[in-house]
Amino acid sequence: MKRRYLDYILALVVILSLNFFLPRLMPGDPLTAIYGDALLDMSPELQAQLAERYGLEGTLGEQFITYVTNLLRGDLGYSYYFGAPVTEVILEALPWTLLLVGSSLLISTFIGVLIGIESGWRHGGRLDSFLIVAVMFLNGIPSFFMGILLLLFLSFQLHLFPLSGAVTPFSGYTGMALVMDILRHLFLPCLALTLVQIPRNFLLMRNSMIGVIRTPYILTAQGKGLKERVIQYRHAARGALLPIITRLGMSIGLLFTGVLFIETVFAYPGTGYIFYLALGKHDFPMVQGTLFFITLFVLAANFLTDVISAKIDPRLREHAYQLLDRT
Amino acid sequence: MHINYWTELKRNKFGRIGLIMVSILVLVALAAPFLAPHNPWVYQGQPLTPPSEEYILGLNDIGQDILSELIYGTRTTLLVGVSVAVFSTLISLALALAAALGGRIVDRIILRLIDIMLILPVFLIAILVAIYFKPGVVTIIIMLTLLLWPPGARILRAQTLSLKERQHLTAASSFGAGKGYIVYRHLIPDLYPLLTVNLIQMVRRTVFMEAGLAFLGIFDPTQKSWGLMIHYASEFIFTGAWKWWLLPPGLLISYTIIGFALIGYALESSLDPRLRRNIHYVGH
Repeated sequence: MKRRYLDYILALVVILSLNFFLPRLMPGDPLTAIYGDALLDMSPELQAQLAERYGLEGTLGEQFITYVTNLLRGDLGYSYYFGAPVTEVILEALPWTLLLVGSSLLISTFIGVLIGIESGWRHGGRLDSFLIVAVMFLNGIPSFFMGILLLLFLSFQLHLFPLSGAVTPFSGYTGMALVMDILRHLFLPCLALTLVQIPRNFLLMRNSMIGVIRTPYILTAQGKGLKERVIQYRHAARGALLPIITRLGMSIGLLFTGVLFIETVFAYPGTGYIFYLALGKHDFPMVQGTLFFITLFVLAANFLTDVISAKIDPRLREHAYQLLDRT
Repeated sequence: MHINYWTELKRNKFGRIGLIMVSILVLVALAAPFLAPHNPWVYQGQPLTPPSEEYILGLNDIGQDILSELIYGTRTTLLVGVSVAVFSTLISLALALAAALGGRIVDRIILRLIDIMLILPVFLIAILVAIYFKPGVVTIIIMLTLLLWPPGARILRAQTLSLKERQHLTAASSFGAGKGYIVYRHLIPDLYPLLTVNLIQMVRRTVFMEAGLAFLGIFDPTQKSWGLMIHYASEFIFTGAWKWWLLPPGLLISYTIIGFALIGYALESSLDPRLRRNIHYVGH
């Protein structure tokens, strides 16, 4: 695990350096690179103030120190499009993203693992062949296109769900009505994200099952005359789940990438949508801040997954990093 | 591991369908100037014209022929996909061989590099970098190549390490074969199956990422790209135009990804001893 800690620290350094150097490597002064056209609207006093605050004067070393101190204070800069500090805007949007990512993480893991168990247990069978083809098609649809399809057919054509947003504006709903309203808005984005995520979990679980059912302990269980369902779920599925926990957990990273697109399509007011709005307005502090924040979140989630799976499965303690290939 | 993929692919139902799907794409990309009814960069008439006999899929918001845009988009997708796949696989191979054969210190450095790259959310970093570099085709190829090599490198390194211990390599070196000769004549040919699978997977991943970046609008707007078409069309999503402007590029992206996925699946199942039934080996 010690090795692993160092990996995460180095990954963090890579991300920090990218965020620090990219705007400064661009031709012209960094203030222009960071603030873009919006600089033209600012008074020279404001420009000077910004330059001082974000340490854009002085040597690169000094600038880096100012940069890191600002980050440690949670200061990601000022968004002129939203007219508020970047961190504040992100924190306001974050609950919606967490709701969306959290719900589809649970549902997609559950469904993916469940059909993976069924498919792997009788691989080569009819259900398995059908699921493989179905998953292959599902896997071919990028998240934004999945979102667009659901939006067009279920909301726009059939009027089953709202077209955008996370709540009905100015509805004045409270209590149960508000909860229902939020769920109705959550449904399609969550469905899109879940459908995109299922294939990966399914294939992981299926292949792990296929490996497990050849092992002697399954034969032993069969020899004891246990019921098939019991062997399938209590013996095989348990054994098959253990080695893929890390990789199932790593799907959080994919979800946070997918959510960027899904929120954009559904105008769902989470961090991804804010990112997209800021991108369209060339609000670079906001764009960079959101990306940085999501990246940190993913890194933290991956780290937690690593630690937790090492606790659950002692075999992973030495080799956790080897299971990371091909996410 | 000497498998005749050609036979394997043709014997596999999925492989056959995938091959046909991808071949059609390649043909369309090559013959684009002959197939496209109009020049997709030239203003044809009233923007947002619905489909007509002259313009089968209508015109976009700046009066360009959508069908011709789709046909030229095939070129961008395949060019970016195949280039990134080839270059990143070459980097994977070079680093894998260096790690497996270059001694302990080299191996540890490369392995660490791979591990760090694997925990980073690649797509988010691609977006971050792309925002500053405003990529055209060449920039996007370089950028994705530099980001996508690690998974392949890890697998190829592991395979090279296990191949290194095989007896035919010991035999070769005991007959006096040099390191270069062994790599060139034995190791690399033995890695062909994995390289092929990696290549196909990389094309698929790249098509995904290029489409995603273009959908967000982070791509040279003068290029003809399916993702970019969706980006522009989605602003007009609630007019009728989605039927001929938004769905076709989306379906083509899916078609491409599925085509490559089918080939990849067929190859993988012939490589995975647990999944394959009877296999045709190359005479050796």
